[in-house]
Amino acid sequence: MLGRYTLTYGLRLAVLAAALGLWQGLSAAGVIRADEFPSMSQTATALWDQASGSSLWSAVGQTLEGWGLGLVIGAAAALLIGTLIGMNGFAYRSAIGVIEFFKAIPVIAILPVGLVLWGATLTMKFALVAFAVFWPLVIQVCYGVRSLDPVVRDTTAVLQVRGPRKFLTVILPSAAPFIATGLRVAVAVALIVDIIAELIGGGSGVGERILVAENAGPSAYPIMYAYIVVAGLLGVLLAGAFTVAERYVLGWHESQRSARAEGQDRGYSERKGLTLVAS
Amino acid sequence: MSLHSLGGAASPGPAARAAGTAAARALTRVWLFVVLFLIWWFWSAGSKSLYFPPLSSILKALWTQWVTGPARAELGSSLEHLVVGYVIAGLVGIGIGALLWSLRYLRDATSPYIYFLYVLPAPVLVPAAMTLFGIGFTMKVVLIAFAALWPTLLNTLDGMRGVDQVKLDTSRVLGVSPLGSVFRVVLPAAAPQIVAGLRNSLQVAIILMVVSEWEASSDGIGYYIVNAQQSFDYVGMWSGIIVLAIIGTVANVLFVIAENRALHWHYGARAVEGTR
Amino acid sequence: MNEVKPEVTTAEDEAAGVPVVSLRQVRKVYPGAAGPKVALQDITFDVARGEFACVVGPSGAGKTTLLRILAGLAQPTSGAALFEGTPLRSVPPGIGVVFQDYGRSLYPWLTVARNVELPLRVRGLQRTERAQRVAEVLASVGLPDAGRSYPWQLSGGMQQRVAIARSLAYRPDLLLMDEPFASVDAQTRFELEDLILRVRQEFGVTVVFVTHDIDEAVYLADRVIAVSKSPGVVTEIVDITLTRPRDQIATKADPAFARYREHLLGMVMKR
Repeated sequence: MLGRYTLTYGLRLAVLAAALGLWQGLSAAGVIRADEFPSMSQTATALWDQASGSSLWSAVGQTLEGWGLGLVIGAAAALLIGTLIGMNGFAYRSAIGVIEFFKAIPVIAILPVGLVLWGATLTMKFALVAFAVFWPLVIQVCYGVRSLDPVVRDTTAVLQVRGPRKFLTVILPSAAPFIATGLRVAVAVALIVDIIAELIGGGSGVGERILVAENAGPSAYPIMYAYIVVAGLLGVLLAGAFTVAERYVLGWHESQRSARAEGQDRGYSERKGLTLVAS
Repeated sequence: MSLHSLGGAASPGPAARAAGTAAARALTRVWLFVVLFLIWWFWSAGSKSLYFPPLSSILKALWTQWVTGPARAELGSSLEHLVVGYVIAGLVGIGIGALLWSLRYLRDATSPYIYFLYVLPAPVLVPAAMTLFGIGFTMKVVLIAFAALWPTLLNTLDGMRGVDQVKLDTSRVLGVSPLGSVFRVVLPAAAPQIVAGLRNSLQVAIILMVVSEWEASSDGIGYYIVNAQQSFDYVGMWSGIIVLAIIGTVANVLFVIAENRALHWHYGARAVEGTR
Repeated sequence: MNEVKPEVTTAEDEAAGVPVVSLRQVRKVYPGAAGPKVALQDITFDVARGEFACVVGPSGAGKTTLLRILAGLAQPTSGAALFEGTPLRSVPPGIGVVFQDYGRSLYPWLTVARNVELPLRVRGLQRTERAQRVAEVLASVGLPDAGRSYPWQLSGGMQQRVAIARSLAYRPDLLLMDEPFASVDAQTRFELEDLILRVRQEFGVTVVFVTHDIDEAVYLADRVIAVSKSPGVVTEIVDITLTRPRDQIATKADPAFARYREHLLGMVMKR
């Protein structure tokens, strides 16, 4: 089906070229004011300049530091605590209300507390990220652990599988898709929170560069927009990397299997692992 | 049928036992809240720390500032931006999602760019929005609407694409026109997923509501918190944080209530499925 | 055993002569991952007005494809598919379809009454007339009180009755049924078989019934059209001359029933 593919990619390139062309045209014609919004060529140049030096890469590195550390800490805590809570009915019923409450707090609300405790540092960034990642993920882990298919549960009992072996070979794999969904969301949330921590809290990274550029005035707007693009690309990269990893690890699970069998006509956002399905 | 009855002692009848169980269940869900609250209260009671004032004074500030006092205006302002921005995001998201569903070439051509905008961390656009729209109502509503529309858009598109072919065949056989099918069949069938998107959009909208008020704003909860922090009014700052927590929770609860009413058929059908 | 031809009392003018369904050398090819797949090779048969025709064949014999072509949901790759003399381009208004999977066909966000009412709304009937028709047709399928329930609150057999009611509500000329009773238990299946024979009498509709169950086909049909797998062709058309009204016990005890059964089974299993 080479024809179909080249048509699709051709159209996409055409759309991109048209959009960029339109941008440049409007700037050149003065419809877009130079002191409000840079031209396409200026932004592209700024992006190239930043990328050929070290400043873009160090900013990306700093962002990834906060993102990565926070994600790992938050996820590890969520997996551990979620499993413990999920396995015990009383613990689950007691804790679920509190967890839902904390999950509903917009993370931006905690930022001032983070600043007070740690200032505009890496610690502040990853602490915030870990906090934001923990609550939704712990709920997903609980659901996953508790979601054992009754048929699987009965079969396990008949086969006399108990204790730690039951946990490792039955419960954990069965919870894996829920955990995967939770992690997928966590990857995106971690990036947003890290960027907020930089943009508003002043932690170093891509968000901070945007803030600095904005404060420096219209001459620096090209740099600001260049970093906005970088932030978007970072999001794309991280989400994509996660989807690849998920497919690799969870290849066995039915939903993945049937998705491949059904062929490519699934929504791209689902293929990219973005769609949040009502749980 | 407890053993107690054999001993002649009066055992609670089934109704009383059911009520007892219900009370026990309610208690289970609530005790941890109470315990945590009390811990915070007593641990902070004698606090001399500037940054972590006693819970009692925070709660008092909550009352004097937010319920009866000047911060009500900030609250109203923020909520106004939130509601307007979110409604626009919802309508535009569903509208464009449906449009893309029906125009395959447009969808194929634009999907990577839409994906890019969905994954872009929206707070990153705040400085840009400020340079373009200033710092007033327009900037905030545009920002909230722009950021919040992507989850709804993508989930609408995906939900509509995922509608069962059997339902579509049925609608053709029943004589429903193609346009009629969109409203009578495709949108209702996609509704659970659209609602999931709307819920995600709400979370994004709340975050942007606050973020948009953080820098160089003159009103709103975000402004209040920043202002309080900068004037070392940490009691005020904490009260603002709690207000945000309450807003988040209330929004969630309202959403769940609305969802359960609108999608009662979906949850009913799923519940039955589980038992078949 | 009687040799009397089945008597079909319909309101339609039998002398009109135009078969309700007419297929001539219908061929359907799908583009497949491993090259083109021939679902149907050469299908030719007619169905006369008021007839109850059963299409039997093993799984994979393209029976569902055939049904979709008959409904106008799919077009043949070559050959002619005619409904009341005119070629099928899209779904004509006079056709009803009952799918096998009632769970996916009935709309869960509508009550039973609203589901049944939907085709009537589309056809512009007024509210009172719609309500009347809905009540009538639900009573015909034995569900007079189910209107306010949701489909998923009913059992499988009841849901399929609702699907049948919905397809009959607008009085189609042709009713197509795609293995409609395959997803219900055996007991319910017998009840539904008798139901469909009853409503066929009552509404005077022509029925094309696709099934893999030979017993069911022989029990229900005036004619059985046997379709084979690869290639997808009509291997034989058998006239079933068992007496009507059919009865689950008496008809199945009739030796002729066993003969038809043996014959068809032998044919189907050989291929």
